[in-house]
Amino acid sequence: MTRRERIMAASRKGRVDRLPFLHCWRHSQIGWAERECRNRGMGISWARPCYIMKMHNVDSTEEQVVSTGEVVVRRTYSTPMGSVYLDEKREPGVGQWHAQRSWKDVMPWQKKRLIQEPEDYEVVKYMVDNTEYIPDYFPIEQAKEWLGEDGVVMSWIPKTPMALLMIEWIGSEEGRFYIHHARYRDKVEGLYEAMSKSLEPLYEIAARSPADIIWIPENLEGYLVNPRLFEKYFMPEYEKCARVLHKHGKLLAVHMDGRLGVLKDLIAKSPIDIIEALHPPPVGDLPISEALSIWKDKVIWVGYPGAVYTLGPEAVKKHALDLLRSVVPGDRLVIEMSTENLVSNENLLMLTSILENVELPLTEEKIDRIERSLS
Amino acid sequence: MAEEKYLVALKEAILNLDYGAVVKAAKEAMGAGVDPLRAVTDGMAPGMSIIGEKFETGEYYLAELVVAGDVMREGMKVINPYIKEEGSKTRKKMVIATVEGDMHDIGKSIVATLLIARGFEVVDLGVDVPAARIIDVVNEHKPAILGLSALLTVTMPKMGEVIAALRAAGLRKKVKVIIGGPSVSAKFAEGIGADHSSTNAVEGVEKCKDWVKEGG
Repeated sequence: MTRRERIMAASRKGRVDRLPFLHCWRHSQIGWAERECRNRGMGISWARPCYIMKMHNVDSTEEQVVSTGEVVVRRTYSTPMGSVYLDEKREPGVGQWHAQRSWKDVMPWQKKRLIQEPEDYEVVKYMVDNTEYIPDYFPIEQAKEWLGEDGVVMSWIPKTPMALLMIEWIGSEEGRFYIHHARYRDKVEGLYEAMSKSLEPLYEIAARSPADIIWIPENLEGYLVNPRLFEKYFMPEYEKCARVLHKHGKLLAVHMDGRLGVLKDLIAKSPIDIIEALHPPPVGDLPISEALSIWKDKVIWVGYPGAVYTLGPEAVKKHALDLLRSVVPGDRLVIEMSTENLVSNENLLMLTSILENVELPLTEEKIDRIERSLS
Repeated sequence: MAEEKYLVALKEAILNLDYGAVVKAAKEAMGAGVDPLRAVTDGMAPGMSIIGEKFETGEYYLAELVVAGDVMREGMKVINPYIKEEGSKTRKKMVIATVEGDMHDIGKSIVATLLIARGFEVVDLGVDVPAARIIDVVNEHKPAILGLSALLTVTMPKMGEVIAALRAAGLRKKVKVIIGGPSVSAKFAEGIGADHSSTNAVEGVEKCKDWVKEGG
């Protein structure tokens, strides 16, 4: 099987000859170690947009300003309802590497959020109501041609409405989202509903895209999203999105790299096909073996924990072997080598030297053999 | 005894996460001449303490914890002008911050709110806080404890830089330092010269309480 076939077969819960493992394009180094690992079986996943977005009657300007003693980039959106702005802190190097990241893998930080005051809701709702999504499949077609059988290209769509509000537009610093949700419930829910309606055409666009997997960069985290919030605001959106995607034979992947223990039963009931970047302990709180047993109709793309990488290749070896022993026979799994930070060549090579030998179905004997081959 | 009904009203307002009720109860309490410190420590704080316990047992989530803290802040706005300087000095103070380069707030906010529920006065500096600013605030507020948070493995070394800056400023022996985040460990804490590390908010808060008890 090719790397692409392996990843896709596992993602569709089919038979796979070896455990698929991959690096995410936007986190991956380029060079001899990465090339060597790819030659030894490591795939690539690449999320690209399937649309362009236009906001009608909304002007957007950017300027550099000093805010609370810091130089930031202020983006202002002006509408007939008024204007809103956000401040971004761009570390040196941002935009000079993959996907808006810096060479240290750092993204721009939002220092001031789009929604700051109650009156901002009306302006942002105007922006949402006047947003149009237009299909643009070129980025996906291009990436598919470039990658060929080396990996998979996913269609990238935005976070679901409440995740976008919590993480980006209102923000969660100092409990801002919860405080807005408590103090201005009608405004938060009014905007949520407008966003949900606005996304409907995009789900159809994504479903018709040339990508087999549609990926939402949700960053779901059980500390932030409690079961009540998940049930009320997240589940309906996943259901709406998945209904459209499944009609076209596409898979819904949602990026969930936080602590999910508190949400595990609700996630089991969701129509999500791929739990992408599930982090096992010590970063997450749900062992992969438990997740597999609870989410029987789902595929898990394991996000390798950065905390283990910090301890070096020997710790990676031990953790990876323990992880494999916990997931025998290895069905419904893909291993992502990527983490929140860059992966060193040494760690990447160590993980590859284990994963390149993982034939499925996985057995204790096969893992013992891999361990012996490394010593 | 007459004060009791005002204290109960304050506690209930916190438990019900009711912004309007806390302002009303605080105004009535101050109008009736209730000792403002008692209004905080025997009125709102017990309500926060119950919310904190429910959070620790998993009955409540971060949302309730944060909103309860915000409701209490709303009540404090009414009560604060009545609190005399000497009274506020009796509460144990802690400074807490997410270090420079890291915008992650959840863990820090949980710890800050649980500490408030446990009677600490918390100076929360927010996220992405440079070492120099932390040193200035430690100098100014003279807290018993400094809490440093980092989620990203790339920003964890910044916690060491803060401790080095404390040393350079001659403040290290005057303040206990606790570090928190999913990837911190006792070994890492020892390496950078912190007094304690915690990956769990409840455990971290217990440690702070123990330190304060030991310190008298």
